[in-house]
Amino acid sequence: MNTVRIWFEKRGMAAYISLLDLQRVMHRALKRSGLPVWYTKGFNPHIYLAFSCPLALGQESLCESCEVKTEVEDPDYIAWADALRPALPEGLRLVRIGPAVMKMGQIESADYRLTVPAGAAAALDAYNAAGSVPVEKKTKSGKKQLELKTYIPAVHYTQEGDSLVFALHLPAGDKLNVSPALLLSWLEQAHGVPAWQCHVLRTGLFAAEGRPFL
Amino acid sequence: MPSNPQDRSFIDVRQGLQQALTQVQKPARYTGGEYNEVIKDPAGIDVRFAFCFPDTYEIGMSFLGEKILYELLNRHENWWCERAFMPWTDMKAKMEELHIPLYALESKDPLTKFDVVGFTLEYELCYTNILAMLDMAGIPLRAADRDESWPLIIAGGPCVCNAEPMADFFDVMQLGEGEQMLQDICAEVEKAKKQGLTKRQLLENLAGLPGVYVPSFYDVSYNPDGTIRAVTPNDPHAPAKITKAIVKDLDSFVPPEHFIVPMIGAVQDRACVEVLRGCVRGCRFCQAGQIYRPFRERSPRLISDSARALCQNTGYDELSLTSLSTSDHSRLEELLDRLNAWAEADHVSLSLPSLRVDNFSKSMVDKTTKVRKSGLTFAAEAGTQRLRDVINKNVTWEQIERTCTIAFKEGYTSVKLYFMMGLPTETLEDIKGIADTAQKVVDLYYSLDHAKGKGVQVTCSVACFVPKPVTPFQFCAQDRRETLREKQKYLLSCVHSRKIKVNYHDSATSVLEGVFAKGDRRLGRVIETAYRNGAFFDTWEEYFDYDRWLAAFAACGVDPDFYNYREIGLDEVTPWDHLDVGVSKAFLVREYQKALRAETTQPCNRQCSGCGANKLLGGPCFEYSKDLV
Repeated sequence: MNTVRIWFEKRGMAAYISLLDLQRVMHRALKRSGLPVWYTKGFNPHIYLAFSCPLALGQESLCESCEVKTEVEDPDYIAWADALRPALPEGLRLVRIGPAVMKMGQIESADYRLTVPAGAAAALDAYNAAGSVPVEKKTKSGKKQLELKTYIPAVHYTQEGDSLVFALHLPAGDKLNVSPALLLSWLEQAHGVPAWQCHVLRTGLFAAEGRPFL
Repeated sequence: MPSNPQDRSFIDVRQGLQQALTQVQKPARYTGGEYNEVIKDPAGIDVRFAFCFPDTYEIGMSFLGEKILYELLNRHENWWCERAFMPWTDMKAKMEELHIPLYALESKDPLTKFDVVGFTLEYELCYTNILAMLDMAGIPLRAADRDESWPLIIAGGPCVCNAEPMADFFDVMQLGEGEQMLQDICAEVEKAKKQGLTKRQLLENLAGLPGVYVPSFYDVSYNPDGTIRAVTPNDPHAPAKITKAIVKDLDSFVPPEHFIVPMIGAVQDRACVEVLRGCVRGCRFCQAGQIYRPFRERSPRLISDSARALCQNTGYDELSLTSLSTSDHSRLEELLDRLNAWAEADHVSLSLPSLRVDNFSKSMVDKTTKVRKSGLTFAAEAGTQRLRDVINKNVTWEQIERTCTIAFKEGYTSVKLYFMMGLPTETLEDIKGIADTAQKVVDLYYSLDHAKGKGVQVTCSVACFVPKPVTPFQFCAQDRRETLREKQKYLLSCVHSRKIKVNYHDSATSVLEGVFAKGDRRLGRVIETAYRNGAFFDTWEEYFDYDRWLAAFAACGVDPDFYNYREIGLDEVTPWDHLDVGVSKAFLVREYQKALRAETTQPCNRQCSGCGANKLLGGPCFEYSKDLV
């Protein structure tokens, strides 16, 4: 049995597909593709499908991934990609398909590119000047206090037209996930920067020691 | 299309959505972009059609009619059919706050950019949503207030069989099946645009098409007692009676094979193929059973081939064979064999939604439900044989017993029984019969071998009967709420087992449903008033406000009781007499009188009872010389 990783972009209106919906969307896309993916056994067999490090609703990504399994010995991944590409809906663009080298649990961090309105410069400067930025993070077990400065000591932004752009590298994965939305909601609450005018794009996923997640 | 004079200023849709979508629940309802959505270049389009469903995305995307027509219209290269749904309350408020007009999901263009805006009249309580959707697009509600610059506003769907309550709001209403009719309408619209015809000229051309009703071409006069004297055409192009359009041969239209696949779970989120249209049974309470006549079947080969293509094109893993009564297909076994030849290998499971107790067989269970033998649903409709005879639900206790025996032996442990309350001639004896029937099913389970420790659950779902137009019970008055409440109370007192669960609903929505079902044009003002006073999403209990409706009736000086609590005389002119769905009024009268005598009528594949719908086919519906059933 081979475990296969599918990499895809999630952009534009597709950013509004929730994780629950994304599972359904991918399940059907795989079924349309006719690829020989492995079905679970039991009364209600379905395609084995697991998503790694799901993105928050409304955020975009260049590096979403999910895993399927196959009993095919040596899959032709180029042919797989050709079969799946046209079966995906608008906004979900196939990047590549290949063997899953690492386990999903190995994801430790992610890169993001944030775009905020130029008017947010003062708010970002205030963030950089602040000694402490405590925020509330919602988890399955309730709300938790988190010191944002631990993870984002400073924001180094540059101006691009009417926008400010900056990159963030944040913990991601099962152990600790810090969403860029925490910074955006602080900017909105503390400085009135409208969150809807801010844009998050995930650009990379990493395993331990900054090695690319494969 | 000329540009529209808009009294409301709207902002660009895409721009507005950037903000709105981040601030509402389930934004994927409003994005479009689903697989199989049709996108075209507006530059090459002659007719732009907005298919509007006056309920939420999840409900509208479950509606087969839209899938059929979406594919048919979009097969024309120079026509583009898009979709719009009623935004949920949070999105509606957000769109109003940000001045985003109601738009079609495909192009994000506001409805005012379309040549034709079509609504489905699926259910009476969706009427206010239609007004809300027009209003959200900045389109004047009344046809009389819309000049050439506005899109043609049209309607179709089952409720057009009594179009009158909504007649003021539509330029054109379609009686019957849309496959051909809607294409003919769009062809006329294209012609009118190219020839520069006036709206009046277009409407006159449309009035000549089979099934097309142009409400403004008819005047209604009333008797002193409030009943209708006559409905008279006021334009030479308008026929005195509009005859329903049908597809004579279902095999002449391939069922839709490219359903748009919703991202968020629709209510009916599966592949479905319509296997037959119409119903042979003739249940006297059932409007669908009358208005979709005559009975027509699709051939098993076409159904199977289309179903397979549909599953491949959508990725659905569940296939439903839909119709009013799927097990009445004369070649059902052949159909199931054909489907089973590929379904399992393709990872597709089959389901038959509307099984009947009188022809349920073990082989059918084997061929459909390979997995999950949990629940079984049957419509018994009434609790005693006498009342079942009155409503012509030709089901006997012996059949229920036989069916449940098969099901229990196959491992089913729960049975859901559908009943109605408030049926004509109903007595407390009949109400007690509901509880007795459920108890007998429980007793049956324990009389058979069953897994140790596994109990049975019998659920009685009891709906309030609403007399509908174009049925033999159209002449009957609806039971009052107080009466229904008493009957519900009595039913509960008759249930003595914890294995039996009784579900019923409050009847306030049924009252309105009854009023609008049998209403006339005077209700247009009431619907508009209620809408202006905040009524929409009336199908959703949390938004339905009965008092608001009563206030609207009072403000318009209209007595709702006149429509639903009054018996209609057998010779009275009804608001729907000029809309001919095929079955004749003489037949409805005959059936009503038989009902009062508790006499049954044979299903029409056994014996023709002369309902009149065969005139739509131009010949008999069945070859009675053959051994049919």
